[in-house]
Amino acid sequence: MSRVIARNEWRRLFAQPLAWALLAAVLAVLAYFFLLTLQGFLGLMPKLAGMPSAPGVTDLVALPLARAIASVLLIVAPLLGMRAIAGERQSGTLALLQTSGTGGAGIVFGKFIALCGFFVVLIALALTMPASLAIGTQLDWGRIATGALGLILFAAALSAIAIAASSFTRHTVVAAIVALAINLVLWMLDAGARHEGVSSGFINYLALPTHLEPFLRGIVATVDVVYFALIVAVALTLAARRLDSERERG
Amino acid sequence: MAAVPILQLQAATRRLAGRTIVDGVTFSLDRGSVLGLLGVNGAGKSTTLRVIAGLLAPSAGKVLFDGCDLHDEPALARRLGYLPETPPLYAELRVDEYLTFCARLHGMRTADAHKAVDRVIERCGLGEVRRRLCGNLSKGFAQRVGIAQAIVHDPDLIVLDEPASGLDPVQAASIRKLVSELGRDRAVILSTHLLHDVTACCARVAILHRGRLRHDGALAELTDTQGGDLESMFFRIASADDAQAAA
Repeated sequence: MSRVIARNEWRRLFAQPLAWALLAAVLAVLAYFFLLTLQGFLGLMPKLAGMPSAPGVTDLVALPLARAIASVLLIVAPLLGMRAIAGERQSGTLALLQTSGTGGAGIVFGKFIALCGFFVVLIALALTMPASLAIGTQLDWGRIATGALGLILFAAALSAIAIAASSFTRHTVVAAIVALAINLVLWMLDAGARHEGVSSGFINYLALPTHLEPFLRGIVATVDVVYFALIVAVALTLAARRLDSERERG
Repeated sequence: MAAVPILQLQAATRRLAGRTIVDGVTFSLDRGSVLGLLGVNGAGKSTTLRVIAGLLAPSAGKVLFDGCDLHDEPALARRLGYLPETPPLYAELRVDEYLTFCARLHGMRTADAHKAVDRVIERCGLGEVRRRLCGNLSKGFAQRVGIAQAIVHDPDLIVLDEPASGLDPVQAASIRKLVSELGRDRAVILSTHLLHDVTACCARVAILHRGRLRHDGALAELTDTQGGDLESMFFRIASADDAQAAA
């Protein structure tokens, strides 16, 4: 039934202006950023030409863009996921899903898949910008692919967090704020530690950038995949349990 | 072998926020009957129906659907149709899209779902709005889409919370007719505070007051034997307790 819910969620997402507006705004901002970095790169080109093993266009344009996509996702995921469950609770449609025998896990998973699908589209569209440079230069496709994979896992983790936040309230704005707060905490958790020169402590392990960065550098490590999978599993389990407990708590 | 009643409540009790909303309600319902749950506002009708639909677990007692607890057999919920107080519509979907989703959600295959949607659209008189957005419907049509949603997957038990609310007299009459038709081969339980809803389409009436079941019997029996009609009985139950509470 998750499939039915996911498809319905997807259809509803694109029947409303929010998803389109977010997509347009995010792509506009990213395009501007992309053009700026590209211009910077073109300015640097004469210097780079003289350096042995100089960083290429993938390092200097595609990578910064991927980091920009990640920062944008921190804000967009809460906005798009806030209504997932809180909105249904508010409009009374949650009862429809809950009386269909689907169960909390099925409902939550369906919503999660739909939200992830949206972010896959967003990431794919954003990455067409650096990909378009292939017309004029050589790109490191392997690193772009691992970068895309990292961003998708990152977006999946943020989607799960947004859905979990959404499952605990009936106010969509509260859900968005809570999800944003969690994202920012996980994003900046080890900023202080890094400032003090600690870069391989436990606190670094907990932070999101520690696990996104290797993907952007072209490294797919099990530990990073497991980290994102753990966030998804914990957040979705919490959300599903919260939905199931509503029978008891009322 | 005696058939198991489709719905059995055994001393079902539900407490919410420290208050007992539904207090030891016991009754059973067979296929082919329509039960009207009558009560003043705040009598516990909606909570009783939410307990029956599986949205709320009973704090004590049992609710058995076809002999099983819905909590143990979640798949059984597919054989149950539920219309909450406010129809659970997705404002941004078209009526036919929405009903197809409801049918699919209850486990129907796509082809069957489309046929079922066509049937239910005809049955509930939704032909002229089938391509309109749910969010743009008038209250009467929204209520009818809500009822369509509860019956599209051909359930054995239909739970309707105030199905005729917000409808004009003509629409209400057509809904009552629809409910009586549904009650021929299925079990229907509906809540209302309008006596007329009950007399028009229910063979059986249960009166709920302050969470307790105060009367449960066939409508015909009531008018024949006890001399009083439903109205005076309802008023007697509803006002006796108030007098008691005041004293």
